[in-house]
Amino acid sequence: MPDTARAHLVRTFTPTMLLTWAVLATLPFWVERVGLYQYLAVEVLIWATYALAFNLVLGHAGLPSFGHGAFFGIGAYAFGLAQFNIAANLWVCLAAALLAAGMAGALVGLFISHRRGIYFALMTIAFGQVFWFIAVKAHAITGGEDGLLRIVRLPVELGVAAIPLEDNLSLYYGVLAVFVLVSLGLWRLVHSPFGRVVKAIKQNEQRARFIGYDVWKAKFAVIVLSAALSGLAGGLFAMAQRSAFPDVMSLHFSGYIVMMTLVGGGLVSFWGPVAGVVAFLLARDLIGAVTTGWMLWFGMLFVVLVMFRPDGLAGIAAGLRAAIAPPPRAGGG
Amino acid sequence: MLFNLLPHLVNGLTLGLLFALIALGFMLILGLMEQINLAHGSLFALGAYFAFVIATPRLPWPELNQAWATVPLGWRYTAALLLAPVLVAPVGLVIERLMRRTYGRDPLYGLLLTFGIALVLEDAIRTVWGTRDYSLPVPRDISGGFFLLDLIWSRYRFWAAAFAIAAMAVVWVVVERTRFGAMVKAGAHDSEMVQAMGVDIRKLRAGVFALGTMLAALAGVIMAPVWGIRPHMGVDAVVPAFVIIVLGGVGSFWGAVLAGLMVGMVVGLSGAYASEWSLLSMYLLLILVVTFRARGLFGKKSLLEA
Repeated sequence: MPDTARAHLVRTFTPTMLLTWAVLATLPFWVERVGLYQYLAVEVLIWATYALAFNLVLGHAGLPSFGHGAFFGIGAYAFGLAQFNIAANLWVCLAAALLAAGMAGALVGLFISHRRGIYFALMTIAFGQVFWFIAVKAHAITGGEDGLLRIVRLPVELGVAAIPLEDNLSLYYGVLAVFVLVSLGLWRLVHSPFGRVVKAIKQNEQRARFIGYDVWKAKFAVIVLSAALSGLAGGLFAMAQRSAFPDVMSLHFSGYIVMMTLVGGGLVSFWGPVAGVVAFLLARDLIGAVTTGWMLWFGMLFVVLVMFRPDGLAGIAAGLRAAIAPPPRAGGG
Repeated sequence: MLFNLLPHLVNGLTLGLLFALIALGFMLILGLMEQINLAHGSLFALGAYFAFVIATPRLPWPELNQAWATVPLGWRYTAALLLAPVLVAPVGLVIERLMRRTYGRDPLYGLLLTFGIALVLEDAIRTVWGTRDYSLPVPRDISGGFFLLDLIWSRYRFWAAAFAIAAMAVVWVVVERTRFGAMVKAGAHDSEMVQAMGVDIRKLRAGVFALGTMLAALAGVIMAPVWGIRPHMGVDAVVPAFVIIVLGGVGSFWGAVLAGLMVGMVVGLSGAYASEWSLLSMYLLLILVVTFRARGLFGKKSLLEA
């Protein structure tokens, strides 16, 4: 049945997805032409992976987490510690980042999977602060405020060959491979039967429970998965920065990922968070080049956005499309 | 043994009273607006900075500054204590004005909005005053230390506790014994009904926001000599405040006071054994209590359960 096979393919790879990947795949060739720098491209990809993972909780399940920085940071530390203490192998270290953050997510999930709304947000702040605090104070393990230094950008071991990721360009394509896999996986997940249940919980948790879905289990799974993938992004971040610091775990950074996701339109769009990451990092560099207090201005923009367009860039884009498209003709003409 | 812990207990008590004061303003706003004000900590920090400008003095007008500097510190300090909260109140009113668009919508938007405002205020503070630490001078009558039971006690900590108790007493009277307080409580219970009775809910909300803002700023002034004045102090204050609210239960005055004291005590006592880790204890307390009592100690059913 070639027709169903094609329909399946079209459903799996949408135009927006292919366009996003294509833009990101060519990014290193023009990022310097427009006056930016190669490392920024790496940062964009890592934060975009993180934002997509985060949006599983915020946008898809409707759970406002203000402590996700903890998972990102735990991933970064796990990557470094695995490199020093277990094996200096990319697969081992990334697996460690994924597992450590996933386990932290499971621990948090045990306590908060039956919560939602503001209560959920407050409890995630509390857990986020606990992890951040431990990272700052456990000097012997994490290096405290000085950070975990001398993390190496490990090569990709493929058995027969090893691809080095030392320079920013090759690291970029290494991270891009992860981004493509994570975004494809999340896209499939969101559109799977499980994704429908998660969506139902977002719309009306009580109704979903009455229909017979195990709401607790679904929320727990979403939290663990989102935490694990955030940790994976954190592991990549440790590699990009060649170090791991506690500040990405702070309340501020946990808020930044919420800002990025919301600015892009994570509440209404799967790919919105990627646009939000680009907007956030560009604003940081462009406004930051003019004034030291860049958050003063970006924060104001954010406040205005929350007031008037909480559906973010994706919402604005959808509004524009609707305005440009010819209005549907009324009644049988 | 117990005797050695006494200073830590007293420190914890003071800290707890101040935390409770911050949390009360936070809770008044939460109760009536059904919105979390994450910028509450920034208002706390602004109070401290404004007090610093008034008391040191660093007013923007040189002539006035010179004349004011000759006034004894006691007067300047008193002026700072009374004026700083009043000066911060308009900032709170602006926040309330911005938040109006989020009333009746998912509380997430209020949370995000005030998070943005908190970032803006924190960076505004950095832009105006820089990142360095300042200290608020305290009149000699209420600073320094004294000997009691062979121990040195900081005189200011007792004053801070006394200020906090006095401010909380005022809040209690306002909320429990005035018409305004009755309207606030009724509005938190059922704002539509209160509107139907002819109360202007907008004015009521603005009034509560101003009151909550002034409490935060006052706590900032009182806390400034203990913590020092720095841009990050807002976050250091707002996180314990919401821990106390969740712990004590939303909508309960005595819940907030008791939770504030518990948090202060736990932080103070754990500080005796592991000073590095003392702040961690309050989160562990929160997680422990909330695991067994989902609504906190004295909480009623509230928007937190959505």
